[in-house]
Amino acid sequence: MSAIWAQGLTKHFDEVRAVDGIDLDIAPGTIFGFLGQNGSGKTTTIRMLTTLLRPTAGSARVDGLDIRDDARAVRRSIGVALQEAGLDDVQTGRELLTLQARLFGMGGARRRGRVDELLAIVDLEDAADRAIGTYSGGMKRRLDLAAALVHRPDILFLDEPTTGLDPISREAIWRYVTRLSAEDGITVFLTTQYLEEADRLAHDLAIIDEGRIISRGSPAEMKARIGTDVVTVQVPAADALDRAAEVVGDVAGVERVQIADGAAVVYVPDGARAVAGIVLALDDAGIEVGDVAISRPSLDDVFLEATGHHLQVEEPQPAEGGAA
Amino acid sequence: MQSIATVYFLTLRSLREAVRNPAQEAGNVLIPLFFFAVTVGSIGSIAADAFGIDNFTGFQVPVAILAAASSISASAGLGTITDIQRGYFDKLLLTPAPRSAIVFGRIAADGVRTVAITAFIVGVGLIFGTGFDTGVPGLLVLLVGSFGFGMAYSGFNAAIALRTGSPQAAAAGGLLLFPLIFLSTAFAPKDVFADWLEVLATINPITYVLEAQRSLIIEGWNGFDILWGATATLGFSVASFTLTFLALRWRTS
Ligand SMILES: Nc1ncnc2c1ncn2[C@@H]1O[C@H](COP(=O)(O)OP(=O)(O)OP(=O)(O)O)[C@@H](O)[C@H]1O
Ligand SMILES: [Mg+2]
Repeated sequence: MSAIWAQGLTKHFDEVRAVDGIDLDIAPGTIFGFLGQNGSGKTTTIRMLTTLLRPTAGSARVDGLDIRDDARAVRRSIGVALQEAGLDDVQTGRELLTLQARLFGMGGARRRGRVDELLAIVDLEDAADRAIGTYSGGMKRRLDLAAALVHRPDILFLDEPTTGLDPISREAIWRYVTRLSAEDGITVFLTTQYLEEADRLAHDLAIIDEGRIISRGSPAEMKARIGTDVVTVQVPAADALDRAAEVVGDVAGVERVQIADGAAVVYVPDGARAVAGIVLALDDAGIEVGDVAISRPSLDDVFLEATGHHLQVEEPQPAEGGAA
Repeated sequence: MQSIATVYFLTLRSLREAVRNPAQEAGNVLIPLFFFAVTVGSIGSIAADAFGIDNFTGFQVPVAILAAASSISASAGLGTITDIQRGYFDKLLLTPAPRSAIVFGRIAADGVRTVAITAFIVGVGLIFGTGFDTGVPGLLVLLVGSFGFGMAYSGFNAAIALRTGSPQAAAAGGLLLFPLIFLSTAFAPKDVFADWLEVLATINPITYVLEAQRSLIIEGWNGFDILWGATATLGFSVASFTLTFLALRWRTS
C-alpha cells in the first residue's frame, strides 16, 4: 500500500489553477521531496492531503484512508508542520505540546513522558517553560516539528521546514528528518524551494511548476536522465543571445541549447572536450563571451530543462529566522 | 466524550490566556464600571422621582454586567483571529478533535470569564449598597445566567471571527451588541420611553435578560421575569451558536 496516493488532485481558486491535476504514489518510509518555486502549488497540495482544504477535483488516500470520507482518521495518522509555524505566543512550549497530546487523546504518564522526550529531541528543554512568544524563529520551527510528532504519526508533512532559517538551524532540522526516516520508518512529505535540501534529503522527488508535476524520480535519476554535461556560457550582450544559441547548436556533439538568465546553457556529452569548439564558434560569429562553466547536471539543470527557467528562490525577511 | 474533553482542554487554554493578559481583563471590567459610576452619579438621585426606581444603583448593576460580557466576547473574537492568523487554528484543526468542540472551547471560556466578572461587579455593587434581594440562591441563578449569555455573546463574535478572519470586523462585532443594550430598558423603565423605543425594547432580548437580573437584585424572586430571561438567553444562544456553526463550516470547507 502507498503511504500517499493521489490521482488528478486539483484545486482551483476562481481563475487560479493552484494545483492542476497531480498524481502521487509514495512508498512507506520514503522521504519524498516536493520541489517548486514560490506559488507553484506546494502548500495547496499539502493542505489538501492533510484535510485542511477540499480538492476541486481528483482523489487522494493518505495511509490508505480517503482524505474526504475518512478525514478524521487521516488526521490521526499524520503529523503536520505548516509553512508558517502555527504556534500560540502565550502558551509555553511544554503547554503547547501537552495540549496537542491531549487533543490526540494521550493521557497521564504516557503524555508527560512523550512531551519530555520531544523537548529533548528538539533541544528545547531549557526553554520549555518560557512563553513561545520569546522563542527565536529556529526554536519555533523546532517546537512546531515536535508538535507534529506528539502522537507518533506514520506520515509527516513538512511545508518548507527550513525556509528563512540560518544554516545551523537548517542543519538541525535536516538531522531530525533524516533520523525520523531512518530510525522510525516515518514517511516524510517535504516541500522545499531549495535544490540543496531536495538533493540532500529526498529519496524520491517530484518537481512541481504552475500546479503540475513536471519531473519525477530520485535526484540521481533525474540528473542521469539529462545524460550530458552542462556548459553554461554567459553572453554579456543580451541581444546576441538568440544568435549565440543558434551558433552553439551547430557545434558538433551539442544536443540541446537553452537560454536562461543571460546565458546559453549547452547540453553536451563531454563538456571538457566541447568547450573549446563552443567558444571558438561564438568568437567566429563575433559574439562576445563572458564566463564559461562546465558542470555535471544539477537539480537546477533538471528544473531548467523541464521548465525553461531557473528555480527562483525568494528568501523571506530574516526577522523570523532567528538563531537556533 | 471526546467533544467534552476537547472543550474542557481548550477552555483551560483560553482561561490561561486571559489570566496572562490581566490588562485586557482589567479593561473588560473597568470600562463598564466607569459607565456604571457615571450613570448612577448623573441620574441616580432623580431616578426615584423621575421613574420610581428607589435602588437605581442596583438597577444599573445588570447593565454593567452585560456591557462587560460584550467586551469580553469582543476580545475573544480577536483571540480567535490571532489563532487563525498565526496558523495555530490550523494546528488545532489538524488534530482529530471534533472541530465544533475546538471552537466551543473558547466560547465556554468566555462563559466562565463572564461569571467571574459578574461576581466582581455584584461585589462592587454590594459595596455601594445595592443589596441582593434573593440572597445566595439568587446570586447562583444570576451566575448561571451569566454563563449562558456570556457564551451566547461569544458565539456571535466567534462567528464573525471565523467568517471574516479580520481583526477590524471582530472589533466592530463587539460593538454590534452594544447598541442592543441602549435599545433595552438599560437606563429607565419602559413606561417612560417614547413609543418607538418601547417597541424596540419589547422585541429586544436584552431587555428580558436585564429584567431577570434586576428582579434578582432589587425585587426578590419573580418566576415570570426569570423565565423570560432564561428564554431570551436560550433563544439568543441558539441564534448565536447556529451562526458560529455555519461560519465554522464555511471556513473548513
Ligand atoms: N486561498 C487562496 N485563494 C486564492 N489563491 C490562492 C489561495 N491559496 C493559494 N492561492 C494561489 O495558488 C497558487 C499556489 O499557491 P501555494 O501557496 O500552493 O504555492 P507554494 O508553492 O506553497 O508557494 P510558496 O513557496 O510561496 O509557499 C498561488 O498562485 C497562490 O496565489
Ligand atoms: Mg507554500
